Amino acid sequence: MRNIIAVTLLVLWPFGMTVAQAHAFLDHAEPRVGSIVPTAPRELSLSFTQDLEAAFSTVEVRDANGARVDQGKARISASVMRVGLKALSPGTYKVHWHALSVDTHTTEGSFSFQVGH
Amino acid sequence: MSRLILRALSLAILAAFSPASNAFAHCIVGGRFFPATLATDDPCVADEMSLPTVQYNSANPAGREHDVGADFAKRITESFGISVSTTWTRVSPPADDATKGPVAYGFQNLVTTAQFQLLKDAPHELAMLAGVIFSWGNSGAAGVGANPWSTITPTFYFGKGFGDLPDSAGFLRAFAVTGQVGYEIPTTSLDLVSGNAIPQNVLWGTSLQFSMPYLKSNVVDLGLPDFINHLIPIVEAQFTRPVANNFGNDSITTGTVNPGVIWVGSYFQVGVEAIVPINRSSGTGVGAIAQLHLYLDDIFPSTIGQPLLGASTPMKSMAGR
Repeated sequence: MRNIIAVTLLVLWPFGMTVAQAHAFLDHAEPRVGSIVPTAPRELSLSFTQDLEAAFSTVEVRDANGARVDQGKARISASVMRVGLKALSPGTYKVHWHALSVDTHTTEGSFSFQVGH
Repeated sequence: MSRLILRALSLAILAAFSPASNAFAHCIVGGRFFPATLATDDPCVADEMSLPTVQYNSANPAGREHDVGADFAKRITESFGISVSTTWTRVSPPADDATKGPVAYGFQNLVTTAQFQLLKDAPHELAMLAGVIFSWGNSGAAGVGANPWSTITPTFYFGKGFGDLPDSAGFLRAFAVTGQVGYEIPTTSLDLVSGNAIPQNVLWGTSLQFSMPYLKSNVVDLGLPDFINHLIPIVEAQFTRPVANNFGNDSITTGTVNPGVIWVGSYFQVGVEAIVPINRSSGTGVGAIAQLHLYLDDIFPSTIGQPLLGASTPMKSMAGR
């Protein structure tokens, strides 16, 4: 089986392979996905599996009433997206992100975290 | 074996010369990724290749069957795609009386599929797909059971993730189901060799999946080892039942239930499943299937991994860089 894959990729390489960059999936977040944090975080950080296109990648954080609690435009450096947070009171917050990897693949996802016990 | 490799390579090289256009994805709907399933089909058109699919099949009740298959799928437009599948089979005893010796080798009939993406509903992680499967009669070897007649199978596919359940559903949100149902119509109604009627069949299949990647990214990050976070435990099932023109044959539903697991990476996935026949007409023992599946849209994002028709817009120029 290994030989078949090797032969296939070797033959294909000169004809079509560019720098391979896949979909950008969420690798980890801080605060962590589904976590309960005792104190309100000042910033949300999302780390992805691929580099992002800053102009087309966004994140929103909303409270239980649907009100935005992030401080606007995200800062993006390579595969990491960061956004500042307003002063969060104890409760549940929903994060929704939309990412465009540098090879034009789009992905999205959402998760919650809680502040307080 | 060498014929199989040559066929797969020829198709891949042909596609490599295709013009580039707009790129999107394999089967991603909202936050949900539906992996390529082994016994059934996922509910999306995509640029992908299974090479190889290796199977020990107990579905031949009369003997032992080993299969090595290859499948290549290519999008023509963003919503329309075609695929070509071929399977090399070794079966003992042979499926026909004309083959000399205890073992028969050869290709099954060539299978081509045309599919159209009906729906991708991101908020509800719902995908629907319509397709027509053509099995080309007389393109395979009679000794391994390839039929001299062709079949046409209109098929409907769906996939649904449970990520839209409320947060209180917890781990249930990581589950997803896929399914397909088709009606197989042979191009002739009578087997002139055996004198038997050739039935029309309903074929249906389903999968239940638990996505560890989805659990980690959308529900709760448990801090598990990276390998575990790439696994999708899965149970597939597929069934066939003759429903028309079945004179003189048994009207028995045959099928298999396939428990297994798929490891999902950025550029490929590896799947392994057991094949458990549901009755004696479906097989006499447990088989197994394993598959290496390549995501061509990720491996070749600017060439093979894009549909043949549709304008390409490099994101860096869009962003003004």
